[in-house]
Amino acid sequence: MKQSHHRERLLLLTSLSVFLLFLLTGCWSSQDIDKMGMGIGLALDVGNKSNVEKKLEKQGKSPPHVDTITMTYQFINPKATSKESSSAGPQQKAYLNASQTGESILPIIREFSLSHDAPLFSPHLKIIVISEALLRTHRLESLLDLFLRDNEIRPSCLVLVCNGNARHVLETKKPGELPALKLLGIVDNRSRTAKILPPVSLAKLTAKLNSESSFLLQNVAASDKEVKFEGAAVINGKTKKWAGFLNEMDLEGITWITGKGKGGLVRSLDKETGQLIIYEIETMESKITPHVDGNKISFDVHINSKGRLSENWVLNANPFENEFLKRVEKAAELEVRQLVKSVTAKMQKNLHADVAGFGERLRIEYPKTWEKVKKDWDQTFSTVPITYFVKLTMTDFGASGPSK
Amino acid sequence: MIPTRNDRITTSQTAVIIINFILGAGILTLPRISVEKAKTPDVWISVLIGGLLAMFTGIIIVKLSQRFPDKTFFEYSQEIAGEWVGRILSLLIICYFCLTSSLQVRSMAEVTTFYLLEKTPTWAIVMVFLWVALYLVVGGINCLARMLEIILPITVLFFLVVSLMSIKIFEIDHLRPVLGLGWKPVFDGIKPTALAYTGFEIMMILVVYMRQPNKAVKAVVVGISASLIFYLITVVMVIGAFSIDGVVTRTWPTIDLIRSFEITGLLFERFESLLLVLWIMQIFSTFTLAYYSAALGLAQLLKKNIEPFLFGLLPVIYIITMTPKEINGVFALGDFVGNASIFLFGILPLLLLIISRLKVGKHEAKSSS
Repeated sequence: MKQSHHRERLLLLTSLSVFLLFLLTGCWSSQDIDKMGMGIGLALDVGNKSNVEKKLEKQGKSPPHVDTITMTYQFINPKATSKESSSAGPQQKAYLNASQTGESILPIIREFSLSHDAPLFSPHLKIIVISEALLRTHRLESLLDLFLRDNEIRPSCLVLVCNGNARHVLETKKPGELPALKLLGIVDNRSRTAKILPPVSLAKLTAKLNSESSFLLQNVAASDKEVKFEGAAVINGKTKKWAGFLNEMDLEGITWITGKGKGGLVRSLDKETGQLIIYEIETMESKITPHVDGNKISFDVHINSKGRLSENWVLNANPFENEFLKRVEKAAELEVRQLVKSVTAKMQKNLHADVAGFGERLRIEYPKTWEKVKKDWDQTFSTVPITYFVKLTMTDFGASGPSK
Repeated sequence: MIPTRNDRITTSQTAVIIINFILGAGILTLPRISVEKAKTPDVWISVLIGGLLAMFTGIIIVKLSQRFPDKTFFEYSQEIAGEWVGRILSLLIICYFCLTSSLQVRSMAEVTTFYLLEKTPTWAIVMVFLWVALYLVVGGINCLARMLEIILPITVLFFLVVSLMSIKIFEIDHLRPVLGLGWKPVFDGIKPTALAYTGFEIMMILVVYMRQPNKAVKAVVVGISASLIFYLITVVMVIGAFSIDGVVTRTWPTIDLIRSFEITGLLFERFESLLLVLWIMQIFSTFTLAYYSAALGLAQLLKKNIEPFLFGLLPVIYIITMTPKEINGVFALGDFVGNASIFLFGILPLLLLIISRLKVGKHEAKSSS
């Protein structure tokens, strides 16, 4: 009697657990990854319908779309990335770019669903490139609103500006290369050059878009399917639109003022011989000290750096002598001073925008003064005196000593 | 209704329960809510002061409960304030526990549908959650305590490791200047931060179940301090990454913190799904505790067995959970629950403590005369 009861119970439990196994096989809202369009990069341009789009529109006979923005999405090409096909067939591009024109971001994305079978899948979106021309007419916060609101796109996605056609940045000649990931790789080269800004992700942009301070976005140029990081775009803190351009030299100056560089070079000419000397940055530090005296605001900037004599074209130079090293240091200091002064003049006189973080230092050291001036900071900043103190130290000169 | 001897819990279990009850869905929005009020990066000081305030209130509750070593709040409130007032107060607190548990379930459902299971209907997520909780609480307070002892170290360890990984995007300048605009913003931020510590009120019920009720103060202090450190790290890391301008624009800043960085070369690159899954366990523990407390309250009020109330409350909680129509309704419910807790656990216990002292004094005065 007791045993049969036991057996019944066992049967019940077994059938229950077998039933549970069926539940384990699937997920409620699962989607197959190979049927998704995996988007990794995205470019935003001023609206310009492609010929195909125009023809299709004609056939469709529906009222023409508003064409303010053209969006180019970069997908991973699953056929090229799987090994079997690449060894057999002709080499395919590793990516597919698709453009679509429309009024704002999400309608464009949904428009893709009318012409592509794979639904767009964006959690792996790494980079957003916006063209300068579009930023002249559209507020950055409106263009990025969807990306900040969306649950698929991660705030770790980076934002760049292109002074040409943004969609050209997402192209490459090399088979197998993914342009979006290449851009990401270039951002990592900050230990080699002072001409790259610290990366600005969507997460960091939320703060900048919600404050009134102007800021910089890395600019990237494209030509003949090649890209190059070149200078930076200035975004006005109030209008949130494109407000100017800093070239490579200016950008280097900004890096020196902020002290956020991780590496790079200083090219200078020897005073006596006029020959080239290259100073390689090992460490870089800067301290911006605001001074407030009544209504007068001024700044002192102390820039300190340690580095190495990496390339020397000066004849009869003997780096074993400190005298020569001092001479080289002075030449490099002069060069850095010129860089920071020229970019400061540009910020104060041409752009009327503080993009080097002077306001931030004022906020930290004199919060009450900042509350008063923050509304019109860019204007106030244009007239404040800034003094620079540059000190470079040559710590070593590599493996070769004197030259003859 | 006095629990049997073997159903009692140790002092460390009590502390674990307090931490588990405090840490819930609140941490996902705490950085935003506190910065919205304070408007300076000094909210971490508000978190500290709020914690101390909570500790003070927690100790008052313990002192009150210790005066009645064999009774929970639902029983001794009638003794202090009279049968009817006591019953009404108990009923209010039961309602509070119901609302808290519903709020936790709803927050969990909102976050899960938004970040994890976009297409899964809310009812499916909520029901699974509720049924598992029912299965757990039927086992009684000891089962609950042991379950929480397993959950706590897992969630806390992962949460801390993952939020410390965000050091990559941390900028100390976002937390400066300290007290730049004086103490006023700090005080403005205290209300939301102090409310984040609600959960210590479980001591109104828990002291009875302790093996050593005289160590209840220690449990409260340890429980709230641990939560304080936890909150402090979260708030500092979130503000350090987003700055105060950014935090106020994020609906779920703590999750967005984890979404804002990728670590290449580690086993995983992204941690938000892992973290959310673990944090759901933490929300689960807050929920089950509130749910159990509400059922226990009803059982003791009506002097009946607890089980029918556990089953009976489940649909009630489900209905409250599904009541807010949109996300702002959920946040409004959160505000309401918070304000209610100020009265119920900030002011009420102090009043009751004073009354009970006075009563004893009167009694003694009478007997001596």
